[in-house]
Amino acid sequence: MDFVTLGGNLLGTIPLGDIVLYVTPFNLFLFAVLLGFTLLIALSKPETQVEATMHNLNNTEVKVGPKEFKQRRFLSIICGIASAGAMITGDLFNFTLFMALVGILNIGIVSAVKQTTVLNSAFNYGLIAMMCSLPLFGGAAIILAATGTLSLAVLSQMPASPMVVFGAVLMLIGILGESGVAPFFASKAEMFRTAGSPFIVIIHLSSLFIIVRAVEILLLVLW
Amino acid sequence: MLFIPPYVPEAFLTMYLPAIYAGLIVGFIATMAIAMKRQEIHILILTDLVGLAMIFVVSAVGTDLAEALILPGLVVELAETLAISEILITREMRIIEQDPRRNLSKSSSIFPQPFSLNMEIMTTAPNFIALVLIGYGIFLTGFTGGAVAGGGIVLYALSKKARGLPVLMLDGIAGVSGISWCLWIIGFLLFFVAPQYWLLSLFLAACGLLLKVASKVGLIGLLMREDIDKE
Repeated sequence: MDFVTLGGNLLGTIPLGDIVLYVTPFNLFLFAVLLGFTLLIALSKPETQVEATMHNLNNTEVKVGPKEFKQRRFLSIICGIASAGAMITGDLFNFTLFMALVGILNIGIVSAVKQTTVLNSAFNYGLIAMMCSLPLFGGAAIILAATGTLSLAVLSQMPASPMVVFGAVLMLIGILGESGVAPFFASKAEMFRTAGSPFIVIIHLSSLFIIVRAVEILLLVLW
Repeated sequence: MLFIPPYVPEAFLTMYLPAIYAGLIVGFIATMAIAMKRQEIHILILTDLVGLAMIFVVSAVGTDLAEALILPGLVVELAETLAISEILITREMRIIEQDPRRNLSKSSSIFPQPFSLNMEIMTTAPNFIALVLIGYGIFLTGFTGGAVAGGGIVLYALSKKARGLPVLMLDGIAGVSGISWCLWIIGFLLFFVAPQYWLLSLFLAACGLLLKVASKVGLIGLLMREDIDKE
């Protein structure tokens, strides 16, 4: 499918050799929203959770220490920039790399929390993400082998051969696992249950936006 | 088939499908093994096997572009392994912190506490491996050789530091780096000014790059070790 059909009017292209970045309102909107959210995260302070204690009438505060706060803010900003890069990129393999980077950063954001349930969930999500790097990178490599290019602008003009369909299906499995949606969500669900809200939200937001962009890319490659 | 240059031998072209099948089968066997195993440290190691299968599939393409894709793939794989093992260790330490007297959980087979092993191989093998790595790196020359030799230096420093022995700190390592940079520049200049000495300039550049990368990688390893020890 042509990217004009999917993303609206073509506002312009940025040719960088083989990789041609194309700017459509769709990409630009996703890119701008993610950058805006990253800016919000860079400026905001973390929330404090209040937990009721068992067998007692006390409340305990779950706070984020200053050192952990700095580390988490840094990783969240990088995560936001990586997701924004995945929104605007015009190269199939760059997209997979941004995707894998977002996966690692999601683990990194929750790596210093004290709740063992969150760490357990992060461990399980990391395992799924690592296993899914096989279909993710493998699918991109199979598409490269079948068509000889990774540029989305060229791929969208090509008819899909059976090998490309196979590669795209593999990539879909990889994307689902890396971003922790539908069949794999059980591993990621507990990861948000900790203090420090705006930084935790980027975990959710990045995977949501990446899924939207992945649908566009798969439609570009397949039709 | 349009994109394959005519000078590529037929044997290489027929290797593509077997390589992809091999990668997918290795991945399948590894995931089966993960499904059967219940101990987390084993799952982590087996997951790395799936990552290796990914390298199979990517490298099966066998073009220059694919070679450029293998390196980020490897780095991503390494980073994820490091991150997940760090998570595992942190979790086990938190569990022990919360309740030091309880028994170790059955599912995890790691025990993140320092303990000493008195085995001869722990003292002799790192030196030998470091020597082999540095020798092989010098033989390779260039960027790859520098990385390999630097890896040897890092291994040597890490194994010495882990045993509590003092590490010989090279204060002049920055100087070596600078001189090798000059070698590299001179090599390049000679290559353009006097092309008939191309072999000399090639070796100047290659050895300069080797020293440069090796000293850089070694320096990073030493600095990292110092930084960790501070905490």
